[in-house]
Amino acid sequence: MKPSKLQILIGAVSMVVAALASSTASCAAEPIKIGVAVGLSGANSVVAPAVVQSSQLAVDEINAAGGILGRKVQLEIADDASGAVGAQKAYDTLVFQKNVDAVISMETSAARNAALPIVARGKKPFIYTSFYEGKSCSPWMYVNGWVPDQQVAPVVDYFEKSKGAKTFYLVGNDYAFGRGMLDFTAKYITLHGGTVIGEEYLPIDGTDWTPILSKIRSAHPDALISATAGGAPNVALAKQLKASGLTLPYGNLAIDEGTAKSMGDVATGIYMSGSYLTSIGTPANDKFLDAMRKRFGKNMKTPNELSEPQYEAFFLYKAAVEKAGTTDPDKVIKALGQVSFDGPRGPVKMDESRHTPLAMRLGQIQTDGSVKILQTFTNVDPGKQCPNIK
Amino acid sequence: MAKVTASPGNVGIGQRAADNRMRHIRGLLLVGGPAIALLIAGPFLFGTYLLNVLIQAFFFSIVAVTVDVLWGYTGYLTFGQSAFFGIGAYAAGLVFTHGGFSPSYVLLGLGVAIAVAAAVAAVLGWLSFYRGASPFFATVMSLVLPIVLSQLLLSGGEWTGSSSGLTGYETFDLSLQAWYGIAGAGLLIIATLAWFFVRSDGGRTLVAIRDNESRCQYLGIDTSLVKIVLLIVAAIVAGVAGFGYGAFSGVVAPELTGFVLGTQLIIWVALGGRGTLWGPVVGALLINVVTSYLSGSLPFAWQLILGAAFVAVIVLLPQGLVPLLARPFRRLAGAGAQPILVERAVQARSAQGASEPALQMNDVAKHFGSLKVLQGIDLYADAGELVGLIGPNGAGKTTLMRCMSDGAERSAGRVVLCGNDIKQLPPDRGVRFGLGRKFQNANIFDSLTVAECLRIAGTLIEQPSLFRRSNSLALPPYALEIVRATGLDRKLGTVAKDLSHGEQQALELAMVLALEPRIVLLDEPTAGLTKTERTQIGSVLASLAHRYRLCCLLVEHDLDFVAEIATRIVVLHHGRIVMQGSFDEVVNSELVKTIYAGTPQSAAGHGSANHGEPS
Amino acid sequence: MVLALDVLTTAAILFIVTAGLMVIFGVMKIVNFAHGALLTMGAYASFVVTQLKLDPWVGLPLALVVGVAVGMLVEQVIVRPLYKRPLDAILATWGLGIVIGQLIVMAFGREVQFVETPLKGAISVAGIEYSAYRLLLVPIAAGLCLLLTALLSGTRFGVKTRAVIMNEDLARGLGIHSGRIRFITFSLGAALGSLAGALMTPLSSVEPNMGLAYLINAFMLVMVAGYSMVSLLATCLVFGACQVLVSTFVSPVLGGLTIAVLAAFTLRIRPQGFSHG
Repeated sequence: MKPSKLQILIGAVSMVVAALASSTASCAAEPIKIGVAVGLSGANSVVAPAVVQSSQLAVDEINAAGGILGRKVQLEIADDASGAVGAQKAYDTLVFQKNVDAVISMETSAARNAALPIVARGKKPFIYTSFYEGKSCSPWMYVNGWVPDQQVAPVVDYFEKSKGAKTFYLVGNDYAFGRGMLDFTAKYITLHGGTVIGEEYLPIDGTDWTPILSKIRSAHPDALISATAGGAPNVALAKQLKASGLTLPYGNLAIDEGTAKSMGDVATGIYMSGSYLTSIGTPANDKFLDAMRKRFGKNMKTPNELSEPQYEAFFLYKAAVEKAGTTDPDKVIKALGQVSFDGPRGPVKMDESRHTPLAMRLGQIQTDGSVKILQTFTNVDPGKQCPNIK
Repeated sequence: MAKVTASPGNVGIGQRAADNRMRHIRGLLLVGGPAIALLIAGPFLFGTYLLNVLIQAFFFSIVAVTVDVLWGYTGYLTFGQSAFFGIGAYAAGLVFTHGGFSPSYVLLGLGVAIAVAAAVAAVLGWLSFYRGASPFFATVMSLVLPIVLSQLLLSGGEWTGSSSGLTGYETFDLSLQAWYGIAGAGLLIIATLAWFFVRSDGGRTLVAIRDNESRCQYLGIDTSLVKIVLLIVAAIVAGVAGFGYGAFSGVVAPELTGFVLGTQLIIWVALGGRGTLWGPVVGALLINVVTSYLSGSLPFAWQLILGAAFVAVIVLLPQGLVPLLARPFRRLAGAGAQPILVERAVQARSAQGASEPALQMNDVAKHFGSLKVLQGIDLYADAGELVGLIGPNGAGKTTLMRCMSDGAERSAGRVVLCGNDIKQLPPDRGVRFGLGRKFQNANIFDSLTVAECLRIAGTLIEQPSLFRRSNSLALPPYALEIVRATGLDRKLGTVAKDLSHGEQQALELAMVLALEPRIVLLDEPTAGLTKTERTQIGSVLASLAHRYRLCCLLVEHDLDFVAEIATRIVVLHHGRIVMQGSFDEVVNSELVKTIYAGTPQSAAGHGSANHGEPS
Repeated sequence: MVLALDVLTTAAILFIVTAGLMVIFGVMKIVNFAHGALLTMGAYASFVVTQLKLDPWVGLPLALVVGVAVGMLVEQVIVRPLYKRPLDAILATWGLGIVIGQLIVMAFGREVQFVETPLKGAISVAGIEYSAYRLLLVPIAAGLCLLLTALLSGTRFGVKTRAVIMNEDLARGLGIHSGRIRFITFSLGAALGSLAGALMTPLSSVEPNMGLAYLINAFMLVMVAGYSMVSLLATCLVFGACQVLVSTFVSPVLGGLTIAVLAAFTLRIRPQGFSHG
């Protein structure tokens, strides 16, 4: 009788002590902690390993060069399950438990939208490194991925001019990104004389495209454009599309090179538009790819549109902290809009209402999974994404 | 009105009440004290992260309480409480996103949460708890609800945010500490209210329904209605908790309404200890807090441990872990005192004269397809009669009893109880007309004490309180006689399943009589009883009929017993009444002998009074 | 025409996924909520085959073996003690599903994986191109139904099993070892579940929680279909058709709901479902 009461008491006391300890621990820590929330499970889990590798390489390179303001950088990785509820848990942990100095994340729009209020409450600088549907604004966020204003035009223009496409069918995942992208695309198509004859959505975790494919079959569009979550939904759709025997020009607004490589010959012929491809022949890119191969060897995941901006973002943060002379959030936030970094993609500077002009490439996936660049557009403007944020 | 007959060696009612109150207060302080202390000290002791986690855990625990009341106490395994939680959360999200944030919008959101949760619960209850529904079906329905709801939300496009959910809407600008206080106070209040409810006299009805639903129906309790109302209340509580959660967290997504959360609630309740109320609260809080700390460092191992613990608990330790750890505390709280037995004057209606027959059956028939079990039954019985129903096995005696009590049972004919046509009405209505039925095997509430069984039996006459535990238990004189004669009055605190077979039979009879019925149906009341017990029952039944003017019908095989007490015998054979008359007439008739023996018997030599001849 | 093919292939998929659950429910009257995890296990078996660069068809027998092994273990340790508590059996098997899911995650990681299709490309059917693998599932489902029906009606084991289904106490009284029948049946059901998982993977993807989506639909179908394989096939056809129709003409999301809602209403109106009593 006595021992078990004591046990319960000890348990309660240690819980309280642990809670106290964790909340005061950060004051004494030396390294700069950068939180990375990414979809280790769920839709994004196919691309997450590449994102983690990019982050690790960036941190290694920064630490090898002496860190930021003489302090080492420490990575804190959390799984956001590619969704809103998971992101909430991940950000609560990163912002309040680990008390990171900044967050650099590649994640779905669902996760990002859930993260923003927490980041604002915790006052952490947040660099969002994924491409997305645009118009997401917060005083605490900067974006170095592309937005539809930069990415959609190459694909639609190419289909209309080189493939003579007049009718388009749009499919996507039913969430902020899918709807936002296809919304923009539909407007762009109509503005340029085309017609959208169908628009269908599946939830992020949906895997069965059969009824939608049947609808596409009966509608006979000239071209198909999709905007699903990056990762698993791309693969499922492509596989089922291929298996169904439908052949038509297919532009995927959300695919990345890594996923394309893993799909094998299912991805052949898909058109994509993006700011980063491994076949960009710049010296900076060659250096980056060499460093990746050296660091990860056989286990290297193909660097892609979703993982390379993550690499750059660490250097952007480093530059901002060095410019501000401190990790104080308010000063860093101001500095982030003033610094630039010359990376594998070219120069990146997040000074166009929190977004960055980018060089965009239109490509087509080849049988070996590599991407042949068809056209290049330099310095494409992201447009007025956040007119109310200074 | 109530005559106070003190049992031997008893302390006065007043003193007992005072003792009870002291025990109550001690118990409350033991559990409530630390809880209140934690609530007040929390914001000063805990860091931001832990406060965050605890606030969410508090909201979840409120739902866990509702799950325990529904599953642990009432026996309704439900995966659907997450749906009501999600309804509340989305009410907050939708109203604040599409409307705005202001006091009137807050009230609107809260109103929507409550109204929609209640409406959905009403529909679900109506679908799940209809007459004759199996508990399995109810569970299946509770499974379908969260799935339907999360899919509906996913198809809501931009309006519900679909897979992204709704985020970033304006909400209460309160500090974490304030939210901690609100959520914690909410949990404390709900848990305390639930605690008082399940321990009250009325709350024991839930356990009665779980143990033996048909017995409850035969005591006049409309169990479907009770369950539906309970579900609606539980849904409203869960909905309000969801509203609070949605307002606090600023993020609502389909995961909050889904099947997975519903199963997690079950796991917390199972591990915490179903049917204890505080077990699930502690379990839910602990698991939520530990998960949030471990899911980063030990994501796989922790979930594995939880899953394995859950399986182990279900298979080996159904009462859960927390009660096991806290057994020493129970001894501190002490056992409750038993109520005092008190006689209650029989209600006026029962004393009504024989203006109409108590039981009237016209041309009643029952067939299963082409198999005719009963045909052309015409039977009358008056108050004060003791009718013995005999016949070989398979004659249809039990079916006849069922047709008398359950309106949906018969295929044709008319049954009138004390002047009321039972039509197609369920048994609980028949009971309200004055019927009481005692089953063949002791049909009582296994987990309740003798006193609790008797109290619930009197529900129709004296509604038990939904909040208090009464100090006295009133029974009509004939029920009281049985309780005293069989020694049950010294075993008021014994759990019913620990009684001997004879005692259980007596308890069931006392319960039936506590209803103050005008007709009592008894199915083989002497089965398994010793000679002494048989004599006791015999004199009880005789006095019921002759002294208290009840109408008793019994199905019996023991002809000795029937000979002693019956005023009339009815013989049933192949579903027809072949003979009615006094005992001697019947026993000496050729027809009856043939029926029992199977072949014609000669008139002489096989004498009168065939004692104890089995059929 | 495409619609008809969609309906047929959907019904075939539903049948394959549900057969294992049905075998267990029919004999033991408990719903094996670990069925989803067994599906996932079979899927990962075929993933392992892909990783080892073997012929994708090898995945099927591997899945069967794994399913039988796990089924035997589970029956002994978890299901047997809960024979008298069917609601608790649902919970215990659900907990088991969680445990299996976590073990899979620990072994293979959380990510979504993809598996090689044994049969690539499309075939031309009545002038339309349709996925060859999906079409293949139709004869597989039909064959499975025939095999199981033959097993239950044609063999001694089948007769004993049907006796246990109808009246276990009587069967035991007649000398049938009902414990062994239940053991074999559970293992068979688990093997079928695992096989179904392996058959499903080429259609979409492999991830630790994939079995869940199939589980609920399978559960509802089993409730409605009663105890015979043929009635299960019929139920899959009818309900599958409804799902495809709703998915195509209303919305794919609501289509996913159809089976659950229809089944709930069917059970409400006719509690014994489609079985012949």
